[in-house]
This record gives sequence, structure tokens and C-alpha cells, in this order.
Amino acid sequence: MIALAAEEWAAVLLSLDVALRSVAVSLIPAVAVAWLVARGRFPGRMLLDALVHLPLVVPPVVIGWGLLMLFGVRGPIGAPLNEWFGLRLVFTTEGAALATAVMSFPLIVRAVRLGLENVDPGLEAAARTLGAGPLDRFLTVTLPLMSPGILAGAVTAFAAGLGEFGAVITFASNIPGETQTLPLAIYNATQTPGGEAVAARLALVSFTLAVSGLLLAEVIARHMGRLLGRPA
Amino acid sequence: MRRRRFLAAAGSLITSLPLPARAAAPVTVFAAASLHDALRELGQQWQVRGNPAPRFSFAASSALARQIEQGAPADLFMSADDSWMDHVQERHHIANATRLSTLGNRLVLVAPASAASPLALTRDTELATLLRPQERIATADPAHAPLGRYARAALEWMGQWQAIGPRLARTENVRVALLLVERGEARFGIVYETDARNTEGVRQVAAFPAESHPEISYAFALTRRAESNPAAHALLRFLTSPDSAATWRRFGFLTPA
Repeated sequence: MIALAAEEWAAVLLSLDVALRSVAVSLIPAVAVAWLVARGRFPGRMLLDALVHLPLVVPPVVIGWGLLMLFGVRGPIGAPLNEWFGLRLVFTTEGAALATAVMSFPLIVRAVRLGLENVDPGLEAAARTLGAGPLDRFLTVTLPLMSPGILAGAVTAFAAGLGEFGAVITFASNIPGETQTLPLAIYNATQTPGGEAVAARLALVSFTLAVSGLLLAEVIARHMGRLLGRPA
Repeated sequence: MRRRRFLAAAGSLITSLPLPARAAAPVTVFAAASLHDALRELGQQWQVRGNPAPRFSFAASSALARQIEQGAPADLFMSADDSWMDHVQERHHIANATRLSTLGNRLVLVAPASAASPLALTRDTELATLLRPQERIATADPAHAPLGRYARAALEWMGQWQAIGPRLARTENVRVALLLVERGEARFGIVYETDARNTEGVRQVAAFPAESHPEISYAFALTRRAESNPAAHALLRFLTSPDSAATWRRFGFLTPA
């Protein structure tokens, strides 16, 4: 086991916290959007698809800056949030989670959509002939069948969220204990003379967490696939 | 077939473009973020005198020093403090004979222009009482950036590092700190006087006493790769000339009289 200093542990735990919150926030909206994009028939569907994928292709610092403009205390969303609920997102752990959630949103949508496209429409049609309503069909047939995609998406987003850098540092700044996640702590260490040892330790932790997350996603996908009676 | 002809045409077009003469290659300047506005203007003046426009890369001096250490193609390094220049000098990346310090600055407290009222800053001012819960003071990261280090020294001098350290919004460099104050995200910012003066959305509310922090002194030097580059030498001479001193002063920098 690598010995970490107290503030290094704080960065690791904060990263886990932020990644977990980001997945919690984005999971249900991501499933909804994946559903709309995969099954919906409405004008602007392709535009929605493109918008959802923006965080994958736009520089993260742009996303962070956009969030700062929208959710800052003078932004069109941030101002009312601050006035009505006293909720400030800039410089807070919640803000770091929001930035991370936006960045990993497309990862969940993609995985869920893939899971959804694997669902045999024949099964849903069968449920309908047996008298199941739309909500009933979704909850008892579609949702269980697409659950491997949802879980895999959530775990992938969690693993990616541990490493989100640009959007977080732009939107939530680099405050030890509050917004200084693992990648930000690594960045700080690389900027500090003699920080190489710290950077190397934290990089190793980051690597381990990311690989574990990805392996977990794979294991879950296979296991669920088997449960649902499909070859892995 | 048409495609091949197009490619051939494109290829001959590229190769026929006039290549700049080697001697006229632009000089690459790695400069502290706080020098941004003044250097942009000096770069234009340099160009007006018939020289190729310098290529600027602005960032925290710490980031630039680390990049030079990793072999980044800088010709001129302009650091916001001596310690990062020492850092690259100790690692033999600069031409020691060219190193000089002719530029100074002051440390000030700024607030968003819409919410700025001047205050008297002494050793006994309790900065924390000026902040509501959740409000923060933006400055560059004291862990590495020169501005943050000066800010930390000043806060320690006031005996308030313990109280204010956790309330800092630590940014990559001074320009991000300015943005956060300008947007009203941070209640105050600790920045250089030149930034306070040249940024629309912020107002200086107090100056830190000169004795509260180490003297703010920029260090310039050519890198080893530029040692035999006449254009780089000329640019450094120009930037430290009396003509340029007037421009530096106009932006608020301190120069020897």
C-alpha cells in the first residue's frame, strides 16, 4: 500500500465523493435522454444527440467557463439559486460535482443507449399484447433488460469523474479539501519544485482507481448479461 | 484523377509559399501572466520597428519554469519572481549573463467594481471579518505561483494566514483570479497593482504595505537555446530600454527611475 499524506488522502476521498455525487445527479436524466435519443421521434432529436455529446468534444475548460457564466452568482441560473436557496456552486464541492456530472453525462448516455438498443422490441410488444401499459412495460420489461447498460455507464462515468480536470479547475477552483480533487492535486504537485514524488504517488492511485473502475464496469456488464440469459 | 491533380496543386502551393528567413524567425517569449497587457503592447511596438512579432506564451511563472525545464522552445523567460528564475538557472536552462531584474510591482486588494469601497489596510485589519460565510478571496495558488506566494507572505505578516488560507480561491494564475473577482464570484482578490489598474471590472480597495511581503521583482533571462540568437538579444535589450520603461510605467509597473 502506498503511504499518503493527510492532504493527499483528502484529495483521494474528495475525488471519490465528487465522482459519486456526479453519477448520482446525472444518472436519471441520462437514462431519460438516452431513451429520447434512441426511441424518440421528434424534430431536433439529432440536435439533442449532438448537444449531449458536446462535453466529449469541446475543451473541458470551455465547459467549465460556460458553467461559470451560467451558474456563477451573477449568472442566469446561479443568481436565482443563490438568492432563493442560498446555494452557491462556484468554489464548492457541489460545484465540482456539477462540472464532473456535465463532463461524464455523455458517457452514461452512450452506455445506456447501447443497452437500450440491445433490448428486443419483440419482448416489449409481447408485454403490450398482454395488456401492460407504457409505464408498466418500461419498469418491468425495458428497464431490467437495459440495466447492464445503465450500470456500465454509471461505473464508467464514476471512473472518468475521478479524473475530471479542466472543467473542475475552471468552475470550482483548486481549494484543498473542498474542490481539490485527485487530478488537481497531481497538477499542483507537478507545479511545485520537488513535487515529483507526490505527483508519482497520486498518479499511481489515480491509475489504480481508474483501472479498477473500468474492470468493474466490464465485470458488471458480463454478470448482468448472464443474469438476463444472454451470452456475455 | 481529379483528386490527385488537386493534391499536386495543393502541394506545390504549400512548397511555393515564401519561407521566412531563418534570422527573422519570431522570438518565443514565456512570460508571467501579469505581464500580459504591457507585453502585448510592447510586442506591437517591436513589430512597428520592423521586427517579426514575438510569440508570447502567458501563464503562471511556475508553469512556464516547469515547461522550460522539460525542454519547451522558449527564447526569453520573464518570471514574476526570482525563485522560479533561480529554479531554471540551477538546472542550467538560461544564459546566466543575460539575467536581469528591472521591473517591480505592488500587491493590492481588489473587489468587483460594483461593490468596491476603499478600506485602510494595516497589520491589524481582520480580513476575515470582511467576508461573509462562503465568500472567498481569489489569488494565484500559493503553493507555486509567485503572486500566491507574495499574497501568502502578506497574510502571514498580518498574522492571518491561518484564518484566510482556507478561504482562498486558488487559481492557476493572476488572470483567472481577476476573472473571478470581476464576475463577483470572489468578494476580494489579491493581485498585482498593474492588474487592478488595467482590468475594467475590478477596483483596488487597498494596497498591502511594501514591508508585508518580499519585494516584487521580475526576473528576465534568455534561455540557453537563444544564447546565440541576435533577435532574442535585441528583443531583451528593447524590453529593458528607456523607451520601453515609459510603457512599463504607463501600465503601472515600477522601473528604476
